[in-house]
Amino acid sequence: MKKRIMASLLAAACVLSVASCGGNNQTTTTAATAAPAANNDTTTAAPANNDATEAATTEAAATPAADEGDTFNIYAWNEEFKGFFEKYMPGYDASAQTLDGVKVVWTINPSDGGVYQDKLDQALQANATASAADKVDMFLAEADYILKYTDSDYTMDVSGIGVSQVPTEYQYTVDAASDSNGKIKGVSFQCCPSALIYRRSIAKAVLGTDDPDEVQAQLDSWDKYEAVAAKAKDAGYYIQSSFADNYRVFSNNATSAWVTGGQLTIPDVVDQWTEQMKSFYEKGYILDTLPGVWDDGKTAQMFADGKTMCFFGPAWYFNFCMGNAQDPDKGCFGDWAICEGPMAHFWGGTWMLAATGTDNGSLVAKVMKAFTEDESVCEQLIKNEGQFTNNKSVNQKFADDPDYGSAFLGNQNDVKVFVGMTDNIKFQNNTNYDQLCNEGYQDYIKQYINGSVEKETALQNFYGYINEKYPAVQTP
Amino acid sequence: MSSTTSTATVKHKSISYAGWGYFFIAPFVIVYVACSLIPLFSTFYNAFFENYMDGLKHIGPNFIGFENFVTLFTPRADGRLEILNYTTNTMIMWVIGAVPQIVFALLLAVIFTSERMKIKGQAFFKTVIYMPNLIMASAFAMLFFQIFSSVGPINQLFFTGNGGSAYLFFDNTWSARSIIAFINFLMWFGNTTILLMAGIMGIDQSLFEAASIDGANSTQVFFKITIPLLMPIIIYVVITALIGGLQMFDVPQIITAGRGGPNNTTKTLVMALNSYIGTSKNYGMAGAVSIILFIVTGILSFVVFRSTEPKKEGKKK
Repeated sequence: MKKRIMASLLAAACVLSVASCGGNNQTTTTAATAAPAANNDTTTAAPANNDATEAATTEAAATPAADEGDTFNIYAWNEEFKGFFEKYMPGYDASAQTLDGVKVVWTINPSDGGVYQDKLDQALQANATASAADKVDMFLAEADYILKYTDSDYTMDVSGIGVSQVPTEYQYTVDAASDSNGKIKGVSFQCCPSALIYRRSIAKAVLGTDDPDEVQAQLDSWDKYEAVAAKAKDAGYYIQSSFADNYRVFSNNATSAWVTGGQLTIPDVVDQWTEQMKSFYEKGYILDTLPGVWDDGKTAQMFADGKTMCFFGPAWYFNFCMGNAQDPDKGCFGDWAICEGPMAHFWGGTWMLAATGTDNGSLVAKVMKAFTEDESVCEQLIKNEGQFTNNKSVNQKFADDPDYGSAFLGNQNDVKVFVGMTDNIKFQNNTNYDQLCNEGYQDYIKQYINGSVEKETALQNFYGYINEKYPAVQTP
Repeated sequence: MSSTTSTATVKHKSISYAGWGYFFIAPFVIVYVACSLIPLFSTFYNAFFENYMDGLKHIGPNFIGFENFVTLFTPRADGRLEILNYTTNTMIMWVIGAVPQIVFALLLAVIFTSERMKIKGQAFFKTVIYMPNLIMASAFAMLFFQIFSSVGPINQLFFTGNGGSAYLFFDNTWSARSIIAFINFLMWFGNTTILLMAGIMGIDQSLFEAASIDGANSTQVFFKITIPLLMPIIIYVVITALIGGLQMFDVPQIITAGRGGPNNTTKTLVMALNSYIGTSKNYGMAGAVSIILFIVTGILSFVVFRSTEPKKEGKKK
């Protein structure tokens, strides 16, 4: 009899462990151990449950507005905006991680290889049926793929929650966040005109001056840029470190899109860039290791002992990418300056979009307004974080302030330079597929640039990559 | 259970517990059917459909017959057939990793089990050589990526340190393949050693003693006694290593950031499968690649089994 009970307990334990999703075959000794194991499994399978109960307890203390869900879910691809949010968002309680009593939960996935988009897509598609604690309320998107979301039903017309275009926003940021019918789906907290960032000391050695206007005069076309590259090489420097550094300058001025009518075509400017970099590589104007834009080999060039004269980037680049330059021991803080460079362009930018099905509409609106309309927030972003905000009047104030200067840029007023560049930003020829086209193209064409494969092979490798990632796109 | 009730009525007979056997194998069967057999059939089923995501739009599923296979077996504009390329890459990286792995493991196993050498601290060495297997493949790949990167320690020591330019290990086909194969070797030789040691210790000691009395030297013992009697274990090791090798994924995926570079020469079949599943959720194409992998694995396992089986039976009696 005892044996029979034991056996049925064992069988029950087996079934339990199977029911709790297959894996746990070790917990079959007794039912007593199996039962808690099964419990464990359910909690790990749905960790959000924990959050929900936690949030519920904090909610009891703070009581948010009646129509609000108790968790504010934000999807992002890096920690940048999270940092600004936690520092400057009015009403945010850093110790409890709540905004007006609502728990703020960040889900951060890297953008490389489309991981962020994949995870976000999954979450958005599940949003309608997700529990209140799991619903995506707001997510961040970049210029390369914002169109995919704004032109879908997964983003919400924000006029419904009280966010509308304000005159202080830059028009291109509004256009980028609007769908094809002109409905606004979100806002950007940045404006991202991109500049040529140069090392003052190297510019002096190569060009004989580090004055931004004079440097600009010598670098305002690609022909001049190439001439300076030759000069820099003679002086023992590199004009730029990564072959991909000036990619955006070209690609942003494309006259055709990556994909038109389901057919992939390489924009002319991208091909021009390829040939320029091929010749730069052969002439030794750039690092022969051909690091990518984000690679260590490139950022190491920002240390004081680096040999690179130029980088390209918007205001976010200073803090986000130039950590090495700001290094107290090995860096070269203050030895930098910016000018417009050979061609006007912009790079990136972070838009906040409202997810359809959000149960925190008023909070979404509050955050969007805070980072575009709240002047004190915008001022702090410029002053403390070196950002260029999406608020014309705040930017103008700094541009007109004779006492303002960025210490990192040797007290140059970068806001003034950026303000002068904003009129030239064109948000055009964008498609849903841009991120992986840009990323993949740089990656695969590199083997042509370094001479290891024929151009045709490199292109075929790239087309193969696009076929895998985007089956709907026809490749040549 | 019927057997237990019948034993209650018919006395003086031994009690049969056969019925319980089904109980005890039930968890395995259920898990196997749910997690292995059903997915296997659904993979075959999916391979005949056009079924993917275009951004946020779901395309299909539409039945398209063998079109996915036709796509896979259509050469590119420059004449390269990528699926063949991926298969070759996988096999090459497997061979340059697995051959040294088995040879090295066999050598270690013989040394450790040798009655003449009587190596002390066996448990310690066994633990140490097994240790790399405990580290996650992705962690290993990250580590080697850093070590061999253009600014990593190997380059600083041998190339850039004295003013030269960096050697780009991951931009050269053979160095990239070798590093991947080496990681796999390092991870798995310990496991193989343990298996082979168990096999050697299973061989009757009296045979070794008889051989030494007859004056056989170590080489003769190795080739005439150890190897033939170890054949079943060696076949097992080769087949499991082959199946594992054909499914090579994590190390090259991490070390080449999923691209299989340079020029797709380190891209394996499972990496190709994964890139179809990744962004586009292209179950049709991924299913087709899986089926090809399934067929290749089946053929190769059969070949290995066939080429070694008769020898084994010959020596057995």
